Amino acid sequence: MTIDGLVYLGQSRFGYGLEADELVAALDRDGILAAIVAPTHRPDHDFDRANVQVGQAAAASGGRLLPMARVDPWDGELALRQLNRAVEEFGARGLMLHPAEEYFRINDPRVLPLARRAAELGIPIVVATGYQGFSEPVQLTQFARACPEVPVILTNGGQFNISGLAQTDAGLALQLDNVFVHTSGVYRDDWIALVVSKFGADRILFASAAPVMDLRYELRRVQLAHVPEEAKVLMLSDNVTRLFGLNGTPS
Amino acid sequence: MIIDMHMHIDDIPALGWQMSAAQCIERMDEAGVDAAAVMTIADLPGINPQALELIADACGQYPGRLFGFIRLHPWYRQESLKLLDQAVNEHGFRGLKLHPVSSLAHPSGEDTIALIRRAGELGIPTLFHCGDEPMTTPLSIEPAAAACPDSIIVLGHMGGYFHVDEAIEVAERHANIILETSATPYPAKIAEAVERIGAARVVFGSDGPVSSPVLERDKIMIAGLSPEDTALVLGENAARLLGVPA
Repeated sequence: MTIDGLVYLGQSRFGYGLEADELVAALDRDGILAAIVAPTHRPDHDFDRANVQVGQAAAASGGRLLPMARVDPWDGELALRQLNRAVEEFGARGLMLHPAEEYFRINDPRVLPLARRAAELGIPIVVATGYQGFSEPVQLTQFARACPEVPVILTNGGQFNISGLAQTDAGLALQLDNVFVHTSGVYRDDWIALVVSKFGADRILFASAAPVMDLRYELRRVQLAHVPEEAKVLMLSDNVTRLFGLNGTPS
Repeated sequence: MIIDMHMHIDDIPALGWQMSAAQCIERMDEAGVDAAAVMTIADLPGINPQALELIADACGQYPGRLFGFIRLHPWYRQESLKLLDQAVNEHGFRGLKLHPVSSLAHPSGEDTIALIRRAGELGIPTLFHCGDEPMTTPLSIEPAAAACPDSIIVLGHMGGYFHVDEAIEVAERHANIILETSATPYPAKIAEAVERIGAARVVFGSDGPVSSPVLERDKIMIAGLSPEDTALVLGENAARLLGVPA
């Protein structure tokens, strides 16, 4: 069983986009049972509408798509209300924060009310990580330390450098028990193996970050990783099931 | 024939950088890679004074499978020029590697230009680390390509995560630029590069052994190129650049 830990759904104002039917076809093609889906930042900047659209697409997917809420911390109280609505009305299972696309610093104290609300709602936070000035791994460390009660999942292995120059910083973040990382874009096979051996196979999970990245290629990244087979089971399904409370997912 | 244009061998225990020729060969065999260009992680002159001998010995140990690239620090211009001549003429090295992050030498600096031109005179390509850091982006390297039209410049990682579009644009403007596919996670951009600049100017690389040559090879397959273009990207272009039989 394989579950994709992050796919962006809908048209983004930043030029990329993927619709629900296209995603389900891709999941079928690659033998993936389900995907956690987060709204893109839409051209109209309306996060509430995007959350509704993704929630409705997930509801119509027969359990193949599992929604996350996405809000903009600059919206303050409105963002808190949007998060509540997405969870209560559409069953959002996580909170997606994208500091680079919403232009905020993840360790800005103004983000913390959202983290506290996510903790109250019992959902994890996924942060698009590795963007300089917005979501550097050491900034994520500060953020995750400030909200130890909520799981914080870092995309891209916790860093975004083509030589892996921020891997040590990502390792600092992983010293916190509530920090986890996605496999998306992690080209260094030895980093995936190191996370498994040093921090544990329960701390890293498959996510394609499609359509920003390529779903089939990102799946191969995990299938080919030089880690024990039992670690791959955790990476491909068990960790995302545990973190997002997906035990009701059809198997 | 599959040729990996970008692999690393080094031995610097203090930095934890220990990648052997045997590891490269093991990874190459895993991926069905016939030959590879190998280079150190650090520059000469520098922290590993035995770098030239290390690569030369590795290539001697695996003839026909490993081909040396010498990684040099442009600021030591005269010594680096001498090392470049020595590497090519005495040890049969097939390329020059430059990494502006480790050297802090800008690609358009006079010292760097001197090395690139000499590489062109020697008939070998210059492989740049080309990612997202300052001094390594395609637009930072472009002036060097313009200043050295008779030298082949290979953009390793073809712009990394955020500068791939610029890498393709720069390659469109300069016929002496080749794009190398390692590490960048976008198969569709490889297909776009082939479409826009031609398959003869895109080469497969893995940046192994710390990355997976199997995965990097699969990226080329996922790009969905024609069989002819796939053959060019996976091996025929590198064979031409390295001067080895395809």
